[in-house]
Amino acid sequence: MQLHISTYGTYLHVKDAMFDVRRKGEDGKVINATYSAEKVTHILLATGTMLSTDAVRLAMRHNVDIVFIEQQGDPIGRVWHAKLGSTTKIRKRQLEASLGPDGLRWVRSWLLAKLDNQLGFIRSLKKHRPQHADFLDDKLIRTEALALSINTLASATGSATCVADVADTLRGLEGTAGRLYFETLSYVLPKEYQFNGRSSRPAQDAFNAFLNYGYGMLYGKVEKTLMMAGLDPYVGFLHRDDYNQLSMVYDFIEPYRGWVDEVVFRLFTAKKVNKSHVSEVSGSKTGQSLNTDGKSLLVNAFNEFMDNDPIRYRGRNLVRSHCMQLDAHQFANELIGKTGGLPDLIKL
Amino acid sequence: MIIWVLYDIGKDKARTKAAKRCQQAGLYRVQFSCFLGTLTQNQKDTLQLQLEELIDEETDKVYIFPMSRGELQQTALLGQAFDKKLVTDEIRALFF
Repeated sequence: MQLHISTYGTYLHVKDAMFDVRRKGEDGKVINATYSAEKVTHILLATGTMLSTDAVRLAMRHNVDIVFIEQQGDPIGRVWHAKLGSTTKIRKRQLEASLGPDGLRWVRSWLLAKLDNQLGFIRSLKKHRPQHADFLDDKLIRTEALALSINTLASATGSATCVADVADTLRGLEGTAGRLYFETLSYVLPKEYQFNGRSSRPAQDAFNAFLNYGYGMLYGKVEKTLMMAGLDPYVGFLHRDDYNQLSMVYDFIEPYRGWVDEVVFRLFTAKKVNKSHVSEVSGSKTGQSLNTDGKSLLVNAFNEFMDNDPIRYRGRNLVRSHCMQLDAHQFANELIGKTGGLPDLIKL
Repeated sequence: MIIWVLYDIGKDKARTKAAKRCQQAGLYRVQFSCFLGTLTQNQKDTLQLQLEELIDEETDKVYIFPMSRGELQQTALLGQAFDKKLVTDEIRALFF
């Protein structure tokens, strides 16, 4: 289970070789709860909380992931034992691939998978919304055209041999697809939840606040997934190399973003979200962020979706977290020439 | 699998240790000498060996019962009972 520690002043330490969470209750009494290291998989600590070094050691012994997050859910760092997930050979090949045609091939497959998932999601929206069919069909056609451009841009033109040659065009096409997609989501939402494009830092509306927190959780998950597969989260193919830029995470996350979109969208259409889940960001007139209730609503829904709801994937029934890990391992294996062929597109 | 551990252990020290071993293995205390939770086969075997070392075989008794999910669902719980979702690992996140 994941321990989300975000209340100011909460202290995580070790007691009897187990994790113990201690904090002062509202009446001033100390509340504590003990959890076996066998059961804890992640510890997420927001700012304003405390952690003992023994707890860090216990976590490393049991492969527990300690992630430090901002109050908005973005991961800022993690504690993980000082070993690579696998062999260095994978990292060498990853660097090579990032500069050659292999990288381009992968970037294309991730982007196409993302677009395919977006298309799939819009199609599924159409099933129960015959009144919006025309609008949705229009978006579908335009997104399909963009997918086709990405596909041909990277394959037909023989001139492009690495991602850098077409990176700007790819980013542009991806961005346009994203805009179309979020326009569509907003259009079919109930009136009071509609939003005007993506916004972050701070989000301008509740829907974006939920999306940002959800992507934040997904970033953390993807980073761990990549590390476990022996990949370097900082060596990206499409995203710019920059100081401390988790480029590979941003590349690899694309096909899975749709999962967050779906969870958030369902919460909103099921009218599970109300005013009590978001608060205004201090110092900003229109900024919105999730409060404790909102976080707990989203985290529970997201975990349920990722870990309790198996999908049919490559001939097996797997929960989504495992699908993602499987993809990362397959990516790593293909880099070092162990398997052939690209993975199947991830279908929502 | 879902595991029940129940014991009667005479010596205070051994009894306290037995309780800690059960909690460390990932079981939840449902009564003073009664623990419940989800373990893997390996975790169960480890716990069994640890408890075996602690007890006095002449006087003490320890029971380790497996139970199926279906049977747990049919269980009747009255009063201040344990949380079914917690012991079956269905709770994925806790907030503090």
